[in-house]
Amino acid sequence: MFALNFLLRRIVQGIVIIGLVTLLIFTLLRVVPGDPVRIMLGPMVAPSVMEQVATELGLRDPIPVQFGRYMLQVMKGDLGHSFIRNAQGGSTGGSRGGETFDLQNRAKVSELIANTIPYSILLAALAILFTVLISFPLGFVAGVYSGKWPDRLSLYVSSVLVSLPNVWLGIVLILLLSAWGGILPAIGYNGPSYAILPALVLAIELAPVMIRSIAVSVANSLQENYVSVGEVRGIKRRRMITHHVLRNASIPLLNLFGIQVIGMLLGSLFVVEYIFNYPGVGLLMINAVFQRDFPIIQAIAMLSSAVLVCVNILVDLAATNIDRRLQY
Amino acid sequence: MQTNRSVLNVSQLSVDIEGRERRRILNEISFTLEADTVLGIIGQSGSGKTVLSRALVNWLRPPLRISGGSILFKGVDLATVNETAMQQLRGREIAYIGSDPANALDPTLPIGRQIAEKLMSVENDLARDAADRRVLQMLDAVRIPSSRQRFHEFPFQFSGGMMQRVMIVDALITNPAFLVADNITQPLDVTIAAQILRLLKELQRDFRTSTVFVSSALGVVAEIADRVIVLAHGEVVEQQGMHGLLDRPTHEYTRRLISEMPKIWGEEPLPTAVETPASETVLSVRDVSKTYSERDRNRFFVWNHIQAVRGVSFDVFRGENLGIIGESGCGKSTLSRLLGRVEAPDTGQIEFLGKDIAHMGRRQLLGLRKKFQLLLQDPFNAIPPHLTIGRTIAEPLYIQGGTSSVEVEKRVRATMIEVGLQEDLYDLLPVGLSAGQRQRVNIARAMVLDPELLILDETLSALDQVEQAKLIELFGDIQKRRGITYIYISHDLSLVRRVCNRIAVMYLGRVVELASNTDIFFNPQHPYTRALLSAVPAIEERRYLPETYLMEGEPPSPINIPAGCSFRSRCPLPIEICASVDPKLSATPSDGYAACHLITPIAQSTINS
Repeated sequence: MFALNFLLRRIVQGIVIIGLVTLLIFTLLRVVPGDPVRIMLGPMVAPSVMEQVATELGLRDPIPVQFGRYMLQVMKGDLGHSFIRNAQGGSTGGSRGGETFDLQNRAKVSELIANTIPYSILLAALAILFTVLISFPLGFVAGVYSGKWPDRLSLYVSSVLVSLPNVWLGIVLILLLSAWGGILPAIGYNGPSYAILPALVLAIELAPVMIRSIAVSVANSLQENYVSVGEVRGIKRRRMITHHVLRNASIPLLNLFGIQVIGMLLGSLFVVEYIFNYPGVGLLMINAVFQRDFPIIQAIAMLSSAVLVCVNILVDLAATNIDRRLQY
Repeated sequence: MQTNRSVLNVSQLSVDIEGRERRRILNEISFTLEADTVLGIIGQSGSGKTVLSRALVNWLRPPLRISGGSILFKGVDLATVNETAMQQLRGREIAYIGSDPANALDPTLPIGRQIAEKLMSVENDLARDAADRRVLQMLDAVRIPSSRQRFHEFPFQFSGGMMQRVMIVDALITNPAFLVADNITQPLDVTIAAQILRLLKELQRDFRTSTVFVSSALGVVAEIADRVIVLAHGEVVEQQGMHGLLDRPTHEYTRRLISEMPKIWGEEPLPTAVETPASETVLSVRDVSKTYSERDRNRFFVWNHIQAVRGVSFDVFRGENLGIIGESGCGKSTLSRLLGRVEAPDTGQIEFLGKDIAHMGRRQLLGLRKKFQLLLQDPFNAIPPHLTIGRTIAEPLYIQGGTSSVEVEKRVRATMIEVGLQEDLYDLLPVGLSAGQRQRVNIARAMVLDPELLILDETLSALDQVEQAKLIELFGDIQKRRGITYIYISHDLSLVRRVCNRIAVMYLGRVVELASNTDIFFNPQHPYTRALLSAVPAIEERRYLPETYLMEGEPPSPINIPAGCSFRSRCPLPIEICASVDPKLSATPSDGYAACHLITPIAQSTINS
């Protein structure tokens, strides 16, 4: 009953959040300078034609009207059409010039996203896997031996990792492992092995935060009274750690995972995909930003906030199941 | 040396604290624990009794270290045994119960699971359902109601007393040869502590567990121990039978310990507490209630309503000391928040000097706050660490405004002298002040406004006996000089016995009895007041016996208060009407008020009329 109550409340809250984010992005996109019609039609088109196309696309209506129309569409499951891309291919650049641009034959945003999202999911999953593989052992050992050399080692490692900018790191890794070493492929996508390098860059960016949080959280849980009482009650320390300390330490970690890691992943994922020219949602988004392709930006922003909301609901649900004192 | 009858032989046991320089905490302690007896260890805080009780189960952590001597248990020296062998003994043969039951178990797992986990890790070949069955049996043995359901509940769902029962189950489930009980009643309310003590006595008799019972309260140890060791500054100063110790203490320290025991019936209250005060009403509380709401986890869109204060009425007269006593959860802290107008009551009036402060606007209230001030228990968090002491005390004057800074400094310095703070503290930060000094800073901050009413919510509870006595004297002096009125809210019966003219006893959000100091202690009318008095740990003869008045059980939850009298479930003398009709606070023959059907009201008048 609690879970149902919880889900209902949180989903309603989530929908409100997504709606507000969408409205914000929608408004900002239309306020910032740069007319998408100019990009669509190219520099040579007469102002009267431009105005005509813009009116046809509804871009000259007041923003609230545009937003209302957009939300109605979204509720019907239609995310609209790209301003720039044609339905057939042309996935990278925008085709400019009146002759090639076909107002009636534009790519559907939902299809564009559906085509790219599997790649992003693969990359994200791999990145999270790498992050866990790196940070869990380091953080756990650092937490158990808090204040001793493993703790300091993990602090040094995470300090180094946290100070590597992902753009630079990506280029260096491409150079070392791909160009010189020839071990891993780097640019574009031609099989799952192409996801390894970008995932590694993402993992290295995420790991330091996780290492420190795991270390702190395990160390704090070890300090709890019940751990030392457990020893005098006759439970071995090893069992106390595996059955109780880890369980309690996971609660703050889950929250961190929900908010920080997913948030960062959504940000860095876009950058890293761009560096590696990896054909995921991020690359689609960044190209769309360059091209003022409002419907795509709009849809991906909405998607991102939906992912964030969902992950947070799941994380909180998991946390309340672990610790029954929590109430969200 | 070791006889068949002895379970534990401690000889020349010393414990050091290792740091830049070694310091001795325990010095050459020797004693023997006879089989099937309870050995009490008594000492004031800092005497080393917790260190000793931990040393007995080889549970000292660095920088503490056993530096000499031996603890012989069944031919094994616990002081030198290796960790693996010790791990075999702990939990199985040697059990330990501490003073912090709320934090003794993993907060995220059900208690029954955790006790079964311990049982199974101690007895390796035990099947899970067999372990569960034994846990359930033991939960019944310590009289935890509806044990089958509580097996699956989490530590935070247990009250302090129930959690201590759970820890007793955890300790005794393996039928250990000896048990160390380290201050186990310390955090509990008096009636609950008395129940736990009674339970432990019974279990000790049934299980024949040799017990080391450590406590700082002589009255508690006197209840249970056969022999007593008196510990002072890490040394045993006296060791003899319980009765001998009380009748013929040999050591100076023991004599002082006995004489410092607060007495309830023997001791005369302070003169101010018996003088009849003038009858001008300062504060008049009428039918005040406060309910808090909390989401119910198990039902849809349902909020639980916690009735913290339920229709409380009383008057406070100028120049008197009114005591409000009750156990945790009875609503006395909520009441103090209402009286101090930190919160507004849901219903009812609080008239201070003829004005209703319960529904007064912010601005008006601010002006009136000069005249009534609230002082709380914790002297540490109440003082901002980054302000000088003088500035802290001056704060209320700045908030009230209208005083020049020269005048402010003059008044602050005068108040500091009045409450016994050295004037040179004026420009210092509060770092390093003792609890007593900090509490004086708090008192000065309230007094600087020259209030007419001070509400003291457990203000003296965090202080030791000596400091407490000094502050009681200070409050008395201020009262004489300024004619101030005090409300003492406390759980400490001996404190209100000493200082209060009239005393209100609270139970589950209600005042159940309100009478003069003498009547409350010598002729209480309400069975709860008698139960409270019967449970006080004391070494003097009790006027009310726990066997008669102290029932099993805890107060009902303030969420679902049953119909009828709310004390019915723990009342030794319930009658039929109690189940259906909630008794009103009515006048008693001895000029007090009590809410009980057993009292024949001389007039059908309640305090309201």
